[in-house]
Amino acid sequence: MVITPIHYIFVPLIAAFAIPLLSKINKELPRIIPGFVMFYNIIISIVLMQQVNEFGYVSEVIAGWKAPFGINLIITPFSGFLVSMISVLGFLIWMYGYRFKQVIDRGELRTYNILQMMMITGAIGIIITGDIFNLFVFLEIVAITAISLTSFYRERDGAEAGFKYLLIGGFASTLILLAILILYTQVGTLNMAEIAERMHTVPSGIKATILILFIVGFGIEAELFPLNGWVPDAYSQAPGPTSAAFAGIVAKAGVYGLIRIIFTLFDIEGAYDFLITAGLITMIIAEAAALKQTNLKRMLAYSSIGQMGLALVAFGIGTKEAVFAAMFLLFNHAIIKSLLFMTGSILMYNSKDKTINSLNGIYKKLPYISILFALGAFAIVGLPPFSGFWSKLYILTAAADKNMIFLIVTILAVSIVEIVYYFRVIGKLYFSEEESEIEIYKPTPQALLAMSILGITILVVGIYPDLVSGYFHSAADILLDKASYIRFVLNAESAIQ
Amino acid sequence: MQEQFNEVFTKYHEVITWSVYGTAIILMLIGLYAILIKKNLVKIVIGLTILDAGVHLLFVGIGYIQNGTAPIFSPGNEDAADRMVDPVPQALVLTAIIIGFAITAVALSLVIRLYKHHNTAKIDQIKSLKW
Repeated sequence: MVITPIHYIFVPLIAAFAIPLLSKINKELPRIIPGFVMFYNIIISIVLMQQVNEFGYVSEVIAGWKAPFGINLIITPFSGFLVSMISVLGFLIWMYGYRFKQVIDRGELRTYNILQMMMITGAIGIIITGDIFNLFVFLEIVAITAISLTSFYRERDGAEAGFKYLLIGGFASTLILLAILILYTQVGTLNMAEIAERMHTVPSGIKATILILFIVGFGIEAELFPLNGWVPDAYSQAPGPTSAAFAGIVAKAGVYGLIRIIFTLFDIEGAYDFLITAGLITMIIAEAAALKQTNLKRMLAYSSIGQMGLALVAFGIGTKEAVFAAMFLLFNHAIIKSLLFMTGSILMYNSKDKTINSLNGIYKKLPYISILFALGAFAIVGLPPFSGFWSKLYILTAAADKNMIFLIVTILAVSIVEIVYYFRVIGKLYFSEEESEIEIYKPTPQALLAMSILGITILVVGIYPDLVSGYFHSAADILLDKASYIRFVLNAESAIQ
Repeated sequence: MQEQFNEVFTKYHEVITWSVYGTAIILMLIGLYAILIKKNLVKIVIGLTILDAGVHLLFVGIGYIQNGTAPIFSPGNEDAADRMVDPVPQALVLTAIIIGFAITAVALSLVIRLYKHHNTAKIDQIKSLKW
């Protein structure tokens, strides 16, 4: 069987429809099938990345309609990197959630597994599609599954967080629809490469209107301020594996949508300045809000918003070095924040009243989890020799190349704030009096394995950043080379045979 | 009857086109008003659907051309390529309606759960999550 990009979408879809039927045969199947699907995603990624390395792009036309007329799926080095990362993370998150106690206690295995799988599929779809309306459809798949997962726990405030997300998300989807509508009246096509080609014919006022509508729409998934009111609620109310998936997968897809639209579709000078400003405001407000959180998962959620803001700043600088650094940051954030959410939700589950203050001296009971959490915290604030150090360093050097002193000062100041609130948690874990009478729930071996893999990745990338950085350099070159993208999509005869 | 109708329609074509656009925009504004001002959860969900309906109407409106035909070649209709209505917005609006339906369904189920949990449907009385 020839592996093509469409396998990313139809295999999980078939599995999602099959799970309710197969669960009648064996109760374990709903839990096992997503694992196979996620593993198959990794295989697809490996095969496709080899093709990308060889040919530069992989594209597939669906149902035999050539590029401008039909929907096409396209994998560039940039989207290929994101998709591979999401596939691997999806598998690790499945491993972590395989016997997740909270889910098992509720006996809703089917719902949980189907939703989680479809959320990851939707995120992959956003990244690989080459058609703007298709992008909207996948965004809605992600939104609906994410809303359902947010309100998964009936007895918590999940429904409130979910409704908040739904109001913002539903409004955003309307705006994106409106943007697509105006765009279609102007350029008469939905294919992203063709839109990019014809964009110069659109009057600048209309262009700006469309861009603003798109930015507001995608800014919600990308956690852009002030559209991120749903983030802390959703992250803290969702089950642990889902929070990890939100940070590692959904946010990445949102950023990708924003970047694809600003870099490929539009080429307005002001858009880059806008990215820097919006990113900076997002970062400052999120990190300041993280300082005063008492719930660990909420704190991590705010930290996640801050990191996304930093990524947008780096993309906004717009040079090759900066885009390279931003990709490195996306990669780092995906692995580190997933690890933090995985360990953090176990720590919270074992704390007495679910606050940071009740984590006193828990390291004696959960030594391994505490070390992994500390590792993640060191990495995300950017201490050497962990992987987070390199991405922050490259962003700072890229900003220094363009003489953006204010940017450098702000990023460094915000890093200090980050250090304060992460080290407060570590201080609680290690240097406080132990609480004796709590009963400890130990994580499952699968969860430990998943977390260890992430931890080892952080260490290895931190010591040998060249393992990945060479690849990010070429991906950054391709992302900035819009002309070759257009040329490839419109001239591609058919998929790689 | 048909000719009469066509005559009237041609005469007032501009008016009709703009009234479609105007209705769409008014619907969108009504939806926005409901989302922003209303306190009742169900009314907010209704506002969301009205907003969606406005955008859908706009979609159908831009695809329309006067005296257009279906984009299908058939005997007696050989010049379809010159005067067909644009099928793409109609295909898009079908998809968008289905997505809107799914969003509404999820929203209403959340409203039910919120009502059971908090025993109220007023959005300003539901505030256990604050930053």
